[in-house]
Amino acid sequence: MGHAKSPYLKYADPIPFPVINRHSHYDHLFEEMYELEEKGEILVYRITEENKPVEVLTRTGRIKTIPTTKIWHHKSCGQCGNIPGYPASVFWFMNKFGYDYMNEPHQTSCTAWNYHGSGTSNPVALAAVWLRNMHQAWKTGYYPLIHCGTSFGSYKETREQLIFNRELREAVKPILKKLGRLTEDGRIVIPQEIVHYSEWVHANRYKIKELYEKEGKAKGIDVSNVRVAIHGACHVWKMMADDYPYDPEVYGGQRPAASTAVMKAIGAQVVDYSTWYDCCGFGFRHILTEREFTRSFAIQRKLKVIAEEIKADVIITHDTGCTTTFEKNQWIGKAHGMYHPVAVMSDVMFSALACGAHPFKVVQLYWNCSNYEPLLEKMGIKNWKELKKEWEETVKHISELEKQGKYEELMEFFKKYDLYEPYSKTSDGFRRKRSATADMPLFRS
Amino acid sequence: MEGQSYGYNIPVSERTKEVPWEEKVRIYEEVKSDFRFKEFLFGCLNCGACTASCPSNRFFDYSPREIVQRFMEEDIEVIYDMMHEYIWACSQCFTCWIRCPFVNNPGGLVIIMREVAVRNAFEATKDLLKPYGRVLLKVMTSGNQLSADMLQPDFFPDWGPKMLDNMQNLRAKRMAIPFDVGKSVKTAWEVSLETAMEMYTIWREAGIFEMLEKIDPNLYNVIMDIVEENEERWEELMEEED
Repeated sequence: MGHAKSPYLKYADPIPFPVINRHSHYDHLFEEMYELEEKGEILVYRITEENKPVEVLTRTGRIKTIPTTKIWHHKSCGQCGNIPGYPASVFWFMNKFGYDYMNEPHQTSCTAWNYHGSGTSNPVALAAVWLRNMHQAWKTGYYPLIHCGTSFGSYKETREQLIFNRELREAVKPILKKLGRLTEDGRIVIPQEIVHYSEWVHANRYKIKELYEKEGKAKGIDVSNVRVAIHGACHVWKMMADDYPYDPEVYGGQRPAASTAVMKAIGAQVVDYSTWYDCCGFGFRHILTEREFTRSFAIQRKLKVIAEEIKADVIITHDTGCTTTFEKNQWIGKAHGMYHPVAVMSDVMFSALACGAHPFKVVQLYWNCSNYEPLLEKMGIKNWKELKKEWEETVKHISELEKQGKYEELMEFFKKYDLYEPYSKTSDGFRRKRSATADMPLFRS
Repeated sequence: MEGQSYGYNIPVSERTKEVPWEEKVRIYEEVKSDFRFKEFLFGCLNCGACTASCPSNRFFDYSPREIVQRFMEEDIEVIYDMMHEYIWACSQCFTCWIRCPFVNNPGGLVIIMREVAVRNAFEATKDLLKPYGRVLLKVMTSGNQLSADMLQPDFFPDWGPKMLDNMQNLRAKRMAIPFDVGKSVKTAWEVSLETAMEMYTIWREAGIFEMLEKIDPNLYNVIMDIVEENEERWEELMEEED
């Protein structure tokens, strides 16, 4: 049995997929989107052959096109601000696969974390922020890849609101015009697909497998005995649920496929647990100002259940809020005799480790508050102590040079340092001078 | 009906009872007139699937089923009361949405209610959002919501002793990341000045600065100082380039 509309998606046995249910009304949106384009209201920013696209299936059986290269990285506050190894692992894979990408400062976050936490925004502002960012990507010719789960969910929701509501389009258009963010003939730019990084990982899972076989295993890494618990992020798979990969080969197409599929591809043991569908307890506002709720939920509904039911070695996530919530709320459990230590990291971080990335320099595990060391041992990364020491010495050296004001020496050091991508490609040459955070960047031209 | 509550288990506060009926109707109409309202509420069998799977329901006096039911019954008194504290328990996970047989979106109704509560500067909302000021400051001025230096161990003692180690030599650690990502300490990433200018325009045009001024005038002043400083810098830069 193959997919009726694709020559590529073929499956051996008939299976009850796609999931046709009461929610399956969403795909209609795409027809409306192209109608709006025909009417000249919008321009659909298309994924082309240049992006070397890969097809995946969504919950309704729609074929979603995932670009793999010529990517405009739309970064995540939670990842860059709090889990640096998360985006670093994405970039590491991009470089390993020789993909072309743009990493530039002409972007804001989606600002939706703030909206869900405080209500201090509105659909017009959210739509304007989204469309401004997308217009910037379109201008560069690179296709946007959304790193953050909340951005992904929020953008999908905003897209639906925008396409089905003339009043929202009419409210946002004058703002975009003022910003110079319409096409020359006055149209709004909307990307053909809104793509989350976990979908990119999903689309690249067999390449990741190849890299693991070639480079990870050569370093003695073996993930076949690692027990993995998957936690899907609510804003990724519950918001606009139809537009996310499902695959007949992952739980018979009854659960989201991304993250689980890459773990299965590299041969880790994906183990099911009873509260797989529960959220993490992040709550946007709660993680900061109602932390007793966040930690209680995380411990009682997830960490305890995962420890008692399946004794997982690692919880695999695909968003920052969940990673932070599980990762930072373990130690406090000791106060109530509910300490359930387990490593926590995203699918791309675990995959990078499996493929031989440096646990500290690339995956940045020093930032973790939970115990990741037993996982490294189990994966066969036996030299993690030496690698950690190497990292700490590097940091110490940089810190001392900076304290002593030896900037020239520092720059010399970085010339010899194994920088994978010291200065990214941007769409202009002005970035350092024209910075809104001029006192903040650590590298200065 | 005026002065009457149909709430099953939600006592209406004295604060709400004292508010003139017309004002409560005005607020209710403001929520109901949001263009999303008709897309978030369809019907309700009272099955409770939303509440059974709601994380906030496990630890707070909060039920998404109650939210939907109050709107189904147009219980203006209780809805007004809920808009002060009750709705802020919602985790915005949208599990209720994916579970509802009617495809209601209780989490979506909550976000409309929150937005209206902020716009109308409810006192309880002001108090609730005070500890959230750091995030607001960051996002309104830089477009990022989180940065490495926000996670100070003093603020997060419950995250354990490793947080202390994490914050040591933070700048150097960020500099040692071998990619041009996460290298900033005070913002998640470096944002270009022209991008910030565009964002400030969006805040102005969409009424977000106005919302903020009502909800926290002190924070608004601090934010506007930074915004104006950046705008001046941008103008100078443009003059230099001319």
